[in-house]
Amino acid sequence: MPIHDQGYRRYGGDKVPHGRAWIVIASSGIRTFVTKRAFLGLLLLSWMPFFVRAVQIYASANLPQAAFLALTPETFRQFLEQQSIFVFFVTVYVGSGLIANDRRANALQIYLSKPLGRAEYVLGKLAVLMSFLLLVTWIPGLLLLIVQAVFAGSFAFVVDNIYLFPAITLVSFIVTATAAASMLALSSLSNSSRYVGILYAALIFFSQALFNVLRFVTGGSTIAWVSVEANLQQVGRAIFRQPLLYETPWFVSMLMIVGLIAVSGFVLERRVRGVEIVA
Amino acid sequence: MTKTAVKRPGLLSSAVKIFDLSLGQMLWSRRSVFLAVLVGGPVLLAGVVRVAIAFEPAAMPRINGANVGGAALFGMMIWLLYIRFIVPVLGVFYGTSLIADEIDDKTITYLFVRPIPRAAVLVGKYLSFLACTVLLVLPSVVVVYFLVVPIGGGSVGREFPSLAADLGMLTVGLAAYGAVFALVGARVKRPLVVGLVFAFGWEPGVLLFPGYLKRATVAYYLQALVPQAMPQDSAISMLMQMFQELPSVATSLVSLAGITLATLWLAGRAVETREYVLEQ
Repeated sequence: MPIHDQGYRRYGGDKVPHGRAWIVIASSGIRTFVTKRAFLGLLLLSWMPFFVRAVQIYASANLPQAAFLALTPETFRQFLEQQSIFVFFVTVYVGSGLIANDRRANALQIYLSKPLGRAEYVLGKLAVLMSFLLLVTWIPGLLLLIVQAVFAGSFAFVVDNIYLFPAITLVSFIVTATAAASMLALSSLSNSSRYVGILYAALIFFSQALFNVLRFVTGGSTIAWVSVEANLQQVGRAIFRQPLLYETPWFVSMLMIVGLIAVSGFVLERRVRGVEIVA
Repeated sequence: MTKTAVKRPGLLSSAVKIFDLSLGQMLWSRRSVFLAVLVGGPVLLAGVVRVAIAFEPAAMPRINGANVGGAALFGMMIWLLYIRFIVPVLGVFYGTSLIADEIDDKTITYLFVRPIPRAAVLVGKYLSFLACTVLLVLPSVVVVYFLVVPIGGGSVGREFPSLAADLGMLTVGLAAYGAVFALVGARVKRPLVVGLVFAFGWEPGVLLFPGYLKRATVAYYLQALVPQAMPQDSAISMLMQMFQELPSVATSLVSLAGITLATLWLAGRAVETREYVLEQ
């Protein structure tokens, strides 16, 4: 049996151009999750509302008795709002360990000792989470629009409501960016993915519970800006040109979302570092 | 040569030892900060409301033009903050961590090599979770009660029986949720996600449907013990009230006790029989 020399060898692969290393982290992360059966089950579950809506479109387009089920632009906004619970579960499943597990295994130093910047590392992790979140918001939202045209045999609805394409895109990206940024920031704060998951649940549900109590106390919904979910709903309605749900101006809600993303960016900037210097 | 019979410690005495060990760890951990923030939030909110109304009496909560008393506000806080959020979240967080934390820290081996029944590890940790959460949640409720109920001329004495009922209900709720999620933590690889799906997906979801499905939740029995009426804060709450058929208090208590004991026993069985593989 020949014994091969395992000494120094020059790297034989292609060099990844500078600034593209995040793609390696993203693709590796995505591959890790798509091999998990439990996660695929969760993704399948999150597509159930899409299938229900598709049946609704088919029935309204082909059965005169079911004409009252016909789609309106509001249906698409409702669909994206309904997906928020799946956005939450996918965010916790995928995002809670993205940075926390690396911190736990002291892998952050190894990552950052490679030709990889901190921004690329964060971008790679963000891309993993955002890809899956877009898979449960943007992709089914757009597919619904296509299914509508296919089942109706006409592009009239799509042409009449041409703003739906940018509206679905914008709302989906705002929802996913908010969830992904806040989850990554929380993930960078701890070594335990379970702790991170519960912190994210607290951020979403506690802010909503707080808003409901304050709404009762103040007798109005001007205070809706305290709730992450309420802010996303408010901005979603503004983008879909629907009447606003709460008394908070939509730009205040948008400001809160931008603020949350900015704070998350700041936390990530402080926490994702190769070496911690203890004074 | 004489043979000395060494008596193996029983489940209860071993559980008490584990309880003693775990309570200190649980109370003085970084997680307690989370717990403190969680139970401190309602207290802070109640304090702010009380001060705001003291300075500006016109800021009293109103429904259809009529002033709402402090008792109603307290009931609203119990429903929205404690029953729907704090109790399930604490159950998920601590219940799923009882065994999973030891696996993550690779310290479960040290507990399992002790001459005690494996189930005692879970039972002891469960009891320390219960003591830790009850000792922090109940005082928080009492402080909120004394801050909120006197608003608008409410009588602290008259409402006291409802406070006692709330405290009992929250204790039973923590015990039931903790046991259910202890089972999830002992059996499932990613217990947090399963726990969150159960607490915030399954439970609110099936409560919206008429029929028997809601009996497969803890919330169905727990909500029957709440002395205050369910608030109509959203369309979902209104739908819930429409299909709400509450079991009697006795049925709820028996069911919750049954859920607690059965899930705790199953969790103990799982710990006894399951082989935990530690990641290298």
